[in-house]
Order: sequence, then C-alpha cells, then structure tokens
Amino acid sequence: MDMLANLSLGFSVALTLKNIGLCFVGCLVGTLIGVLPGVGPIATISILLPITFGLDPTGALIMLAGIYYGAQYGGSTTAILVNIPGEATSVVTTLDGHQMAKQGRAGVALGTAAIGSFFAGCVATVIIAALGAPLTRLALLFGPAEYFSLMVMGLCFAVVLARGSILKAFCMIMLGLLFSTVGTDLETGQERLTFGIPSLSDGIDFSVLAMGVFGFAEVLRNLEAPEARDVVKNKIGRLLPGWDDIKQSIKPVLRGTAIGGILGILPGNGAVLGPFASYTMEKKLAKDPSRFGKGAIEGVAGPESANNAGAQTAFIPLLTLGIPPNAVMALMVGAMTIHGIIPGPQVMTRNPDLFWGMIASMWLGNLMLLVINLPLVGMWVKLLQVPYRLMFPAILIFCCIGIYSVNNQPLDVAFTALFGLFGYLLIKLGFEPAPLLLGFVLGKLMEEKLRQALIISRGSFFTFVERPISAGLLLVAVAVLAIALLPSMSKKRDEVFTE
Amino acid sequence: MSLNQIERAQGLRVRSTQDLAGGLFMIALALGAFVFTWDLPSGTLRQLGPGMLPKAFAVICAGLGAMLALASLRYNGEKLSGWSWKGIFFALGGALLFALTIRGFEFGPIRVPALGLLVSGPLLIFFSGLAADDRRIKELLIFAVAMSTACILLFKYALSLPIPLAPWLLGI
Repeated sequence: MDMLANLSLGFSVALTLKNIGLCFVGCLVGTLIGVLPGVGPIATISILLPITFGLDPTGALIMLAGIYYGAQYGGSTTAILVNIPGEATSVVTTLDGHQMAKQGRAGVALGTAAIGSFFAGCVATVIIAALGAPLTRLALLFGPAEYFSLMVMGLCFAVVLARGSILKAFCMIMLGLLFSTVGTDLETGQERLTFGIPSLSDGIDFSVLAMGVFGFAEVLRNLEAPEARDVVKNKIGRLLPGWDDIKQSIKPVLRGTAIGGILGILPGNGAVLGPFASYTMEKKLAKDPSRFGKGAIEGVAGPESANNAGAQTAFIPLLTLGIPPNAVMALMVGAMTIHGIIPGPQVMTRNPDLFWGMIASMWLGNLMLLVINLPLVGMWVKLLQVPYRLMFPAILIFCCIGIYSVNNQPLDVAFTALFGLFGYLLIKLGFEPAPLLLGFVLGKLMEEKLRQALIISRGSFFTFVERPISAGLLLVAVAVLAIALLPSMSKKRDEVFTE
Repeated sequence: MSLNQIERAQGLRVRSTQDLAGGLFMIALALGAFVFTWDLPSGTLRQLGPGMLPKAFAVICAGLGAMLALASLRYNGEKLSGWSWKGIFFALGGALLFALTIRGFEFGPIRVPALGLLVSGPLLIFFSGLAADDRRIKELLIFAVAMSTACILLFKYALSLPIPLAPWLLGI
C-alpha cells in the first residue's frame, strides 16, 4: 500500500502542467539531439544539461529524465534507420531493425520498438517503485566499508562489460579515479595536482570533462572519417504493427522486459547486457533461427524492451545507493549535483516529492515517447539527412554555450577544448572513454568511504574482508574478473561484442 | 614455413603500435601525476594523507600501462592511424575563439573586447565549419547567422541564461 501512496504522491508532482511540459520538452529535444548520427545518449545529455539550469531541482530532474529517454529512443531510431547504433545497447537493434527498414517496414520496426519500450518502461517503473523503499532501507545499513566494496564491485563489472580490451577498460577506470583526486583534499585542505590554477581547486569540473571527452572528441572522431550514412531510402510505411506482428512480438517483449529489468539492477553496467541476452534468447527460442539478421521482428521487439527496461532499472542503484552503474548514470549524478542534490538513500527520505516525482515522470516520459515520437518520425528522418558539415558546428555551439553557462567562466570552454583533444587522443589510442567518466564520478566517493572505513577500523585493511557484506561484494568482484579473464570466456566475450 | 621464420614470428616485436603508444601514454600520465604529488604527505593507513590515493592510483596506472605496452609486443592489434589536424585546428580553435571573445580577454599587450554571443556565436560556427572537407563558404555563412540567432533566442530569451549578448552594442 505504501507503494501506491508513494506513486500517487509522485504523480501528483509529475502531473502538474509545468512538469508535464518539461517532460515533453525534454523528450522532444532529447530525441532531437539523440537522433543525430554519431551522437549517443552520453553526448546528448551533456549537450542538453545546460537547458535545465534555470529550473527548480524537481523540474530539472523531470526534464533530465525526459531527455534521457528521448536520447535512448533517438539512439534506437538511428540504429533502425541509418544502421548507426548510438551506443552499445542499441547495437543489437541494427541487426534486424535496419533489415526491416530496408524491406520497407521501418515504420513497423520503429512502432514495435516504441510499444515494446513503453511496456518495458511501465513494468520497470513499478519495479523501481517497489524496490526503492526496501533497498533504501538496506542502503542505510551499509557502512563505509560496504560502500567501498560495492563501488569496487561496480567498477569490476564495468571493466568486464566494457567494449573492447579488458586491460584498456581497466586503464580508463584508473585514469578516471586519478582525475577524481585533482582538487582540494577534503580533509586537509591541501591542493592536489591543481598546478596553481584557481578553477582546478574544486577539482576538474564534471561537465567540462564529459563534454570535452564525449562532445568535442566525438566531433573530431567523426570529422576524420568520411561519412557513410546508410539512410533508408524506402518509405517508412505504416507505424502500427499489424496483428501478426503483435502476436510475434508479445512474448519477446515480455521476456526482454524481464531480462533487461533484472540485469539493469546490477551495480555494474548490467543494462548493456540486456539487449544482447534478449537477442540470443529469442534466436535460440525461435522456430526458424535463420530469419534473424534478415528482419525478424522478434529481434527488434525483445532487445528494445530489454534496452528500455535496463535503462530504467539502472536508476535503482543510483537512487537507492547513490552509486551510478554506468557512464550515463554517472552523468545523471553530475547533473543532480549541479542542482544541489546528492544522490543516495537520503534523497528518498528528505525529498520524497522529488524522488517519487521523478519516478512518476519516468513513466510519463515513456508515454511521451510513444505519443510524440511516432507521429514525428518523418521529421527525424529529415533530420538524419542534415549533412555533418552543418551538424558539427551546431553541436559545438551548444557545447560551448552550455559549458560557459555552468559557471559563467570562459576559461571552462578552453579547458573543455583541451579535454576534447585529450579524448581524441584516447580514441586514437584505442581507449573507450565511457569507463573513465564512471571512475571519475565514483573516485571522490570511494576516497571518502575508504578513509572513513580505515579510520573506523584503525588502519586495518582487514575490515573489508571481515565484514560479511563487504567480503561478499569483494568476492563477487574477484569472481567476475576471474571469470572474464579465463581464456574460454574472453573468447566468448569477444564474440558477444562483435556480433 | 621454416623453423627460422616461426621463431621470428614468435619473438618480441611491436605487433600493435596503438597498444604500445597507449601503454606509454598511461605511463607518462602516471609519472606526471606521481611527480606532482611527490610533496603531498601520504599519511598512515589509520589516517590517510592527501597524497596517498593519487600516488596509489598513479602507480596502478603505470602498472597497467606497462602491461599494455608489453602486451603489444606479444599480441597482434591495431596500428596507430593518422591525426586529423584540420579537425583539431578548426573545431577546437573555434571553441577557443569563443572562449576568448565571449567576455573579452586580457593577456599582457593583447586585449580582446567582450564581444558577446552576437559575435562569438557566428565566429565559432564559421571557423569550426571550415574543418569539414566538403565545406561551402556561402552555406556556412548563412548557417552561422541562422544558428546563432536560434541559439540567442533559445538560451538568452527562452531559457534566460546570463550570457552576454553584445555588451559593446546593446550593453547586455
């Protein structure tokens, strides 16, 4: 009953005219930017972050949630129409989705993806509402040692689930942690690695890092590759799936929602696995697996539902424990911090209307996607045809105005350009920068918890293995790393990510 | 294949310039961090000092970099590919121009007045747009003006962000 009362509180917050409007605008601009090829959800959210600055925290978060879902759905749209996945989780959608589009069934693919996502979103909202309160209570039992171990486990998962080489992902996480130590030390007030630059004394600004490494560097990467955009020339066709399509999709949607929802809760980057797992499962269960890769609707319905369910349940570790499970959620932490909210168990107890309002707005965001995006498909297709030579200056000016507005500091823009160069260097060296952002956001929290834990244990590292929960979490971390490093598994992992 | 060749194939040589450079890059960054945190006290386990974690992270980074560099001698991987200097110069240069002109800038004898978004915006778009291989100057000029107008309407008026518009002309 608690859950219903909480949800109704949430809806009473989310369903004001202003907040519905914010959610609507968020979804719209999120899709608008997210649909641009080569701009994934991370870049989209960092570009759009500044437009939430003028709002009150609740409104800002509601808008951000809208932007997030819009960006996610925009990624799926480009995957289906242009065969360019916005991020790892929509890679699978390109396989069958783009084939369907080539057969003139782009509309049905987009429609199925939207309806599947909406269903998954509804279920995931209920899951969050149901798990929010108990997990928050659990989180309050966690001491610094448990928190530290939990973050270690999360980072291990992130290493294992990152694309490309494990060693390189590890490098990025550690580099992110190293970057997080820049700035004034919280306990002693001593400056670390600031080189006497005043604006570094608060640490590297989160949005500067994110926009440099994901906004600017991405532009530089795209500029060098001559663009091969495989925009579907066929008609989009009707949007609503027919009766046969629905019959074929119902079960994959249900299974995808379950898989994605469960994997998304993992404090590592579990959400990324959902679509892959769902696709593999549908292929195994299908009567005729050879249809997959040639435009099977199950191959769109299942993974898209898993994608959206995971994208949403990934909020659970963030909202209850304050620990972002992946780079996009790390971005949400940054965004919340800018608005003066420190994510964690205390949000729910101290700001219940913000917490439940945001959860209710997640459902609202999913509904918006269904209502506004499908009718606007024609517009998205037109946008996909904008040449990159005009697209990237627009991206750059959004980034620059955004960065400037964070602190009204022109110097921040110069720093962002520097980080853009740095991110480009990383790309050239074959490093995938997403884990860096996660390490960077977790770093400060990890240092704080490590220090607290060591003070409590009087300088004994054994505290991490003596306390049962902490020991269990570390054990899981070691096990995950060990399994991933086994030769047979690392081969399989390569297969999963190249498929 | 003769035995000689097999032996040579298994010997140590650079098999992935990308990984080697990546490893060296990590080591260099770690060394830099280590040098610059040298003075900071590490403290004790009971009371960690400000230098402890940066140094620990730097050591791990260097270790990982060394592993990566060694692995590049053992496993085949990708080669380093060329840089797009044009992209760096125009796109990042455009951002720098924006940073310099938006609120003005003073450095020794060089003085740039505060030009505001009205000038900085088109400047950024036009300059960075030159990075594209298939640029069209006329199109770019029109786009620079149109996009800046849209940005001014969106950010300055719709979202009312405190960004200078044209202090030299309008006083705001």
